[in-house]
Amino acid sequence: MVALIELLSNSLIAALLISIAIGIIGSIMLINRYNYLAASIAHGSYGGVGIALFFSLPLLLSTTLFALFLALLLAYLSYKEPKRLDILISVIWAMGMSIGIILSDLTPGYHSDLLAYLFGNILLVPNDDLYFMGIVDCIVLLFVWQNFHYLIAIAYDKEFAITRNLPVKMMHTLILVFIALTIVMSIRSFGLILVIALFSIPPFIAEKITKNAQSMMLAAAVIAFFLIVAGLFLAYFLNISATAAIILLASAIFLLFFKGLKSTTSP
Amino acid sequence: MQLAIEVKHLFFAYEKEYVLEDISATIKDREYIAIIGPNGGGKSTFVKLLLGLLTPTKGTITIYGTPPSKGRELIGYLPQNIHFNLDIPLQAREVILHGRLSAKKRTFDRDDLQMLEHIAQQLHITHLLNKKIGELSGGERQRVLLARALATKPKILILDEPTAAVDFKTQKEIYQLLQELDLTKIVVSHDVNILLQGVDRVFYINRKLYIHNNINLPITPQEGHFCEMEIFEKLGSENGCTH
Ligand SMILES: Nc1ncnc2c1ncn2[C@@H]1O[C@H](COP(=O)(O)OP(=O)(O)OP(=O)(O)O)[C@@H](O)[C@H]1O
Ligand SMILES: [Mg+2]
Repeated sequence: MVALIELLSNSLIAALLISIAIGIIGSIMLINRYNYLAASIAHGSYGGVGIALFFSLPLLLSTTLFALFLALLLAYLSYKEPKRLDILISVIWAMGMSIGIILSDLTPGYHSDLLAYLFGNILLVPNDDLYFMGIVDCIVLLFVWQNFHYLIAIAYDKEFAITRNLPVKMMHTLILVFIALTIVMSIRSFGLILVIALFSIPPFIAEKITKNAQSMMLAAAVIAFFLIVAGLFLAYFLNISATAAIILLASAIFLLFFKGLKSTTSP
Repeated sequence: MQLAIEVKHLFFAYEKEYVLEDISATIKDREYIAIIGPNGGGKSTFVKLLLGLLTPTKGTITIYGTPPSKGRELIGYLPQNIHFNLDIPLQAREVILHGRLSAKKRTFDRDDLQMLEHIAQQLHITHLLNKKIGELSGGERQRVLLARALATKPKILILDEPTAAVDFKTQKEIYQLLQELDLTKIVVSHDVNILLQGVDRVFYINRKLYIHNNINLPITPQEGHFCEMEIFEKLGSENGCTH
């Protein structure tokens, strides 16, 4: 067991760090109904992978910058074209992925990057990624701690926030920036598919069982951490893919919870 | 006498057609104004213009001498339609406290908590403070939002149909409270009882604005089917309304 934990130590630290991001940013994403926006940034960021390959740039740097660019573009568009935002989100989603695929096609040599992007490699988390995740988590924690009440007031009633002259645009933009950062920091290890599942399911469950946003964030982080760790051990003992194990576990809990929710709310 | 609100030749169109046309009015400090008029007459639009949530197509608005984007910080606002996320885990007490936030104030202190208790008692909602906002009834939620508007310590209180969703008793309590509050008050209402609550002037808005200046003249709810424009305009011209 000790040997196993040692073997998985980077994965476990990554699990803890991503859980903190899920608790905070995942919850903010959900209460603002930004999940679709976030999925667009996550998919679109694949463009950054293509750019890194084609121009031989460092992967993490390239995807981070590209994701930040998409976040700022979306923030700008949501003020400029609020009525057409839905379609613009879809365009960015598709466009980013296509840029990534075309640029990797144009780069000579063998690439399995799309699959790596989709599934990550949770058993081999490089130390660099842990540092990056740690730094992003710290910035996110500081940001939310400083602006907690602004974030909540704006999330449920934007009109009111505007009439009080709260920094609505600034918060909106920063939220998108932090969504981009937390997604990019997670994708290499956890993969796009798992990242999307993990940023949605634990906050959804947490939202239903808590009374305020602080406890929602805490609950989402704990649920996420539990799912990842349980999935990792399950994968090890059953000798199956860790990513798939975590997603299946998350989905099973989601379905059970959803069923429970329905039977308690319907007469 | 200080002016709370000054509106000059205001025109507003959402698309092509004017919803509000050539509206000019001044509201004095501590005046109590009732706004009435038919559905779609432009009452809520007028209020949103005062708050700078919409921008005039033509004309100007000032709130205590400043443009709405600045002056709105002096306004406590209860919207007619609440289109916000009710799934969010959020207690009524936090909603009310959010009234204390401003561009410069991002946290709450002890004074804010005291104020919360005070307003909650005033509005008889102390028992609702720990409930989730999504679990309140429509009328309860409206009272919580009225509390949030009061928590902003406004100089002007603008309520868009505050009594639409509340029961008779609460309605009476709200009117009573409004009379006690020494502020500039603007209340949009379809409820003719509002006219018996000590309002100073009545604004009738149906694309244009008709002002009834003297509420003491014979204009009682019984005879006033105010929401019929012709009747109001007739009463208005006989009784010293201006437009
Ligand atoms: N967002 C909008 N876009 C386009 N038209 C709008 C919008 N909001 C309101 N309108 C139109 O503007 C007109 C005035 O609407 P407003 O909501 O100001 O009326 P109101 O007097 O408040 O009515 P009610 O008594 O029903 O609350 C209506 O004809 C309405 O259809
Ligand atoms: Mg209205």
